[in-house]
Amino acid sequence: MPEPLTPTGTTPAPHLGAQPLTQGAQPRRRRSEAWALLFAALVLLVGAAVGTVGFLAEQATANWRPHIARTQTGWRITEARMLGLSGLALCDGHLAWQDGASILLLDLRSGKAKLLGPGSQALTTWQPAISERYVVWFEGRQAGALSAGAWTYDIATRRRSQIATVGDVLSLPSVSGARTVWCTSGNARSQIVGVDLTNGKGFVVASEYGQPAIDGSLVAWGRSAGGGPSTFGIVDLTQDRSWTVVPSGLGGSGSLTGFDLSGRTLVWGQQDAQTGVGRIVAQNVDTGATSVVAEDARMATAPSVDGDAVVWGEQTPDGAAYQVMGRRLSGGPSFQIARVDGRIQTALVSGGTVAWLVRNFAAGGPAWIETTRLPR
Amino acid sequence: MTAWKTRRSPRLGPFGMRVLFWVLVELWVLNIADLLLTRYSLWLGFATESNNVMSYFFHTGEVPAGVFKIGIVTVGTLLLWRLRRYRTALFAAALLAGVFAAVVAYQALWVLSL
Repeated sequence: MPEPLTPTGTTPAPHLGAQPLTQGAQPRRRRSEAWALLFAALVLLVGAAVGTVGFLAEQATANWRPHIARTQTGWRITEARMLGLSGLALCDGHLAWQDGASILLLDLRSGKAKLLGPGSQALTTWQPAISERYVVWFEGRQAGALSAGAWTYDIATRRRSQIATVGDVLSLPSVSGARTVWCTSGNARSQIVGVDLTNGKGFVVASEYGQPAIDGSLVAWGRSAGGGPSTFGIVDLTQDRSWTVVPSGLGGSGSLTGFDLSGRTLVWGQQDAQTGVGRIVAQNVDTGATSVVAEDARMATAPSVDGDAVVWGEQTPDGAAYQVMGRRLSGGPSFQIARVDGRIQTALVSGGTVAWLVRNFAAGGPAWIETTRLPR
Repeated sequence: MTAWKTRRSPRLGPFGMRVLFWVLVELWVLNIADLLLTRYSLWLGFATESNNVMSYFFHTGEVPAGVFKIGIVTVGTLLLWRLRRYRTALFAAALLAGVFAAVVAYQALWVLSL
């Protein structure tokens, strides 16, 4: 006989005496659940602790970090691995450079350094370039490679990505805003090409050879004739216009130490190869008007320009040291920014900050990078 | 015979099963966190997938990679829950959750350090 589904009148009805049993079971069950959750959390904590210790151990043993120390007016970065510092690039609060084959980036506000490259499959890098938002550099798969991948690091998104493959690396990259340019060879001839970093689209600047520099929409590169510099090629990317600037007074036995572009101003340095004495000249790319920034500069580095500030490194008059020098294009005499007990390789200015890379006078001594504020 | 059986498959009590349940939930959530952090790390361009199987799926696409990773861990989680009467299931689940927690903690710190 099947049992009735509902209690019959003969079945004793549940009475209130059963209540305390239910009330006691609920808290016990909740306590048990809480203990179960606690055990599960313990497993999570132990695992997370192991992961954290592993991460910290890896960071502690990482050898790419340079020694970074705050100075009264900026930062001092000293190489730790003694692989050689080079390829200094500065733009608006960020400094990029090459340490051996490593590409490093320093946030000048926090002093925090990042390793940007090379990737796990690359062994060689070329000197980086930097704009307000992007760092661009080349990575080759093997030492002495001629071909490379062009890579970029987006400071805003913290993303590193390959933007192009460079068949023949004929120049270092230059970047401004979201445009980067370099020289490579295509169809058996040299070409200055570029990439728009916002969409990855490539473009051709000019079908000729040169180390290009870009600022805004202007691209400039030096043309050589018989070993010495003769003219600068200029292309305005927005107006699709190209023209030539003949540098005033450039020539003779002097060789071009380098040039830089800011707005419509081209600043270049020239130096006599035998005496090491040279000068720095600023020239408007539209009007051709020139002004001499420095005369009789000894062992001067390539000049750097940002707005109306020009910065370069040169030997002190007594030859005992080097000095970082600056001058405003708007007027006034040149001024010393820093005296350095080492040979200045590069001196740069951007956004009110000056940075310089120094090779130690002592053979085998560490190279270092220093930054300071540009005097007002 | 009974003693041998007991040694081979020690049983879990109701409390152990509750722990197993929460550890399996943890494992499933950590797997999702691992997937998201791996995807983000690969997008950032600083990491490469070292697991060849997952590397294959990530190259195929993000959806197949997600389906495979979530699917395989879901199946494993359900299998362990089906074996919930055995203490070994709890050990296995705790070990897996611990490893996942370590990986996720490492990845999270690494991403933050970039």
